[in-house]
Amino acid sequence: MAARPRTLEQARATYDTNRELAWWVFMRISGFLLIFLVFAHIFFNNIQINVATVDYAYVAQRLSKAWVKVYESFLLGLAMLHGTNGLRYSIEDYFKRPSTRFWLKAVVFTVAAALFVIGVMALWAFSYQQMGDAINAAGHGG
Amino acid sequence: MYRGREGQWAFVLHRVTGVALALYLLLHVFDVGLVMYGPKGPFNVFLAFYHQWPFRIGLILVMAAVVYHGLNGLRIILMDFTSWGIRYQRGLWYGVLALTTVIGIPILIKVVPEILAGKA
Repeated sequence: MAARPRTLEQARATYDTNRELAWWVFMRISGFLLIFLVFAHIFFNNIQINVATVDYAYVAQRLSKAWVKVYESFLLGLAMLHGTNGLRYSIEDYFKRPSTRFWLKAVVFTVAAALFVIGVMALWAFSYQQMGDAINAAGHGG
Repeated sequence: MYRGREGQWAFVLHRVTGVALALYLLLHVFDVGLVMYGPKGPFNVFLAFYHQWPFRIGLILVMAAVVYHGLNGLRIILMDFTSWGIRYQRGLWYGVLALTTVIGIPILIKVVPEILAGKA
């Protein structure tokens, strides 16, 4: 790690863009958008229907619609960035030891990145209309 | 703990709900991701497990956290980007709590009977 800047001039030379300011702005913009995205998501899936009726068929039917894929992609991306950055703020506020901070953040970022990939795959990598057939075909065709 | 006034409790609740929602999001993406294993995969087994009443009460708490965190986030935006937000932050917080309750009541009226009725 590079030496910490000790004067304002050094700091200016080191940080030509203010990353924390950018995250601060992002949290407010993404937060504002997420209010609408999350409220509607909950309304469609928890209020308009009885959530206990949700099963594979419901999700597969939903994810076979293009607008749902696009909508949920925005929700996934913004929520993951907003949530992961919020967890980072919390870790940095409550854990003092540098090694603890490092490992906690490493675990959180790794898990979030992996789940983001899982989410993108779940949204885009499958044709749910043909999923049942595909599975049967895979069983025979190898 | 620092014994602050409403502003501190607004912050603490925002923190707690935020961390809870972030962890819920990770779990939620994981279990919805199970649809990739297809109709005979583990998705339906997982969901049947989550449809038990303790988790459905948990879902009510998730919804409450979403509404509070979202509305208090709006309060934070008003505090940061308007000239009057900080002056009225305490009143705005009571507004957040009131609106959270107002939004929560119809949700409870819809969801609680579904939980009491048991299986869908």
